[in-house]
Amino acid sequence: MRAIPLKSLTPLVLLGLLTAGCGQGLLGGDDQAPKGNGPILLGMLIPQSGSEAAIGPYMSNAAQLAIDEINAKGGVLGRKLELKTADDACDAQSAVAGANKLVTEGVNVSVGGYCSGATLPTLPIFGKANIPMIIPAANSQELVDQKLKHVFLINGTGSQQAAAADKWMTKEGAKSVVLVHDNTSYSKDIALRTKALLDAPGGADAVLVETVTPKESDYSANVTNILAKKPDYVYWTGYFQEGGLIVRQLRQAGYKGHILLGDGSVSPKFIEIAGNDAAEGVYATMTQTPDTLEGAENWIASYKKKFGTDPGPYSNQAYDAVRLAAEAIGKAGGTDGTKVVAALEGIDGFPMFSGPLKFTPEHTLSNGGFQILVVKGGKFALQDSLK
Amino acid sequence: MTSAVKVRKVGTDKPPTRASKFLQNRWAGLAGLLIALLAPFVNASPYALSVMTSAAVFVMLAAGLNIVVGYCGLLDLGYVAFFAVGAYTSGVLATRFDLPLPVTVPFVIVVTVIAGIVIGAPTLRLRSDYLAIVTLGFGEIIRITANNLDVTGGPSGIYGIPHLTESPVVFYYLTVVVVSLAVVGAARLGRSRLGRAWRFVREDEDAAEAMGVNTYRVKLAAYIAGAVWGGLAGVLFAAHLSAISPTSFTFLQSALVLMAVVLGGMGSIPGVVVGAVVISLLPEILRDLADYRFFLFGVLLIVVMLLRPQGLWPARSREVS
Repeated sequence: MRAIPLKSLTPLVLLGLLTAGCGQGLLGGDDQAPKGNGPILLGMLIPQSGSEAAIGPYMSNAAQLAIDEINAKGGVLGRKLELKTADDACDAQSAVAGANKLVTEGVNVSVGGYCSGATLPTLPIFGKANIPMIIPAANSQELVDQKLKHVFLINGTGSQQAAAADKWMTKEGAKSVVLVHDNTSYSKDIALRTKALLDAPGGADAVLVETVTPKESDYSANVTNILAKKPDYVYWTGYFQEGGLIVRQLRQAGYKGHILLGDGSVSPKFIEIAGNDAAEGVYATMTQTPDTLEGAENWIASYKKKFGTDPGPYSNQAYDAVRLAAEAIGKAGGTDGTKVVAALEGIDGFPMFSGPLKFTPEHTLSNGGFQILVVKGGKFALQDSLK
Repeated sequence: MTSAVKVRKVGTDKPPTRASKFLQNRWAGLAGLLIALLAPFVNASPYALSVMTSAAVFVMLAAGLNIVVGYCGLLDLGYVAFFAVGAYTSGVLATRFDLPLPVTVPFVIVVTVIAGIVIGAPTLRLRSDYLAIVTLGFGEIIRITANNLDVTGGPSGIYGIPHLTESPVVFYYLTVVVVSLAVVGAARLGRSRLGRAWRFVREDEDAAEAMGVNTYRVKLAAYIAGAVWGGLAGVLFAAHLSAISPTSFTFLQSALVLMAVVLGGMGSIPGVVVGAVVISLLPEILRDLADYRFFLFGVLLIVVMLLRPQGLWPARSREVS
């Protein structure tokens, strides 16, 4: 037994004690981010890596655009707004780390959330820190079912999207419909709700609910299953990566009927993956996108000028989330979480892309604003506003 | 400590340097524990605590996989399956039957042992590459099963798992204590009679068998021990995140744990701990690089493997060769 090399440990202990005095250490006291005149921080969790990474910039750019516009007009309550983004990689573990990072940075309101599975575990983290959440994109029913006071959804919900899909397919006179989902919470939710609506007597019938495994490179087995039912409508409720492939393989296998997509597949990447020929004439249920908005030309132009690219899916929701956060903070007269939540609940008729805003008691949009898009000449265009 | 320090005879050719003596020293482990215990005094922000807790859980996973891969030489590409089994077992019991998390631990141990036997019994008759392929398959089966069962919450998983403690600092310390015990336990197991049998199997399975070691049973024991370690790490994981979903248990996760073991030095407990800390902290440290994060992560890993092919802190055999 040798002597304990206490000497080698002393510097460590000293280092620990020294640093404890300052900064964010346990003994460092509770010095939070500066209150008062510093910038108001808006936190945004979005996928910046992983399979959904393409969506991240669309959302953060639009949020930045809204912030710059508000700051140019003098900010909120005399304070500037500032955006803090963090990567959730569409995965629970990264999302929790990212949410904790935003809380540590002292954000006042969260305006992020795209993948429902990654957004769910972040709810208690923001809730504990008394940070209101305005979720621009994630819209799984599970987010609503928890009935959390600080959570607000400004995207249409699964049931609203299912209602839009049912309405459109009934209007089109569809007889037999195959629903295809990828088993993610958001996609399955829409598919099963649509099935419930279609199963009601009369109109179209759901003949098959087909489940695919995400991230595969060949869906011919699923395509064979679908074609065996001879449907005149196929409704894919998952994301664009698989959607593009499935649509291409459906067309290659000689499917001549109609195809309808959920909002997760509405992306230029979908057309890229499916190919122009296969994508042509495909319908989609989608909340309003910049391309289909009336009178949004100026907005698109300023986005393009600033970032050099066109806005994409959920750009407008992210933009609205920031504007809504600013409005609520202004009304609340400060960044206190409880007051901001009360202000959000009290909002009536705030103009957004999806129409005048008023939250339901469940903190969702009273009107989902889903409409039908169609791929025309390699682009998504408005087919029917379902009004 | 400059003079007359007795040099302990170890099975290496090179005379031990001061650094290598320290590395072999049990105080190295205590120093590591001390760093872990003091870290919150440096930074106790929710972010830092969250990242450090994740790192501690990852250390436990790596210590568990080290039993299977490092000690026994069984290449397991689906280790995260046990992690998932543990996390889901405790998550389901805690949310559907309202059991407090500590009460779920015995159930988790039983379920992971069963999972270890169910997966291990048929696969351990295979060797090397075939074993790797089958474990890879089992890892995916567990994840896809969790994705499709209603009891596991399907693709959105389980949320609202109660926290063990309200304060993240207390939870961090609790995690560090549990993980330390697990790491010490794994190290002691490695030095036991069973541990010797494991290394024997790793070095030469046929010779071990000829010497009377029941290789099948010894391998199964390693597999079950690894399963229990993984399952208990899963409980900590569930308590930490409060929500689990199948996306946390992908093949990438298995690969990362394996990478931690290989990067640190197979069979070397301090090496595995260092490897796990590096693998779990590096992506967070590189977070600000956004798109380049995983690119740089990969480059750094390759650099480490080029410079230290035996791992950051390779195992030294105690038996004189």
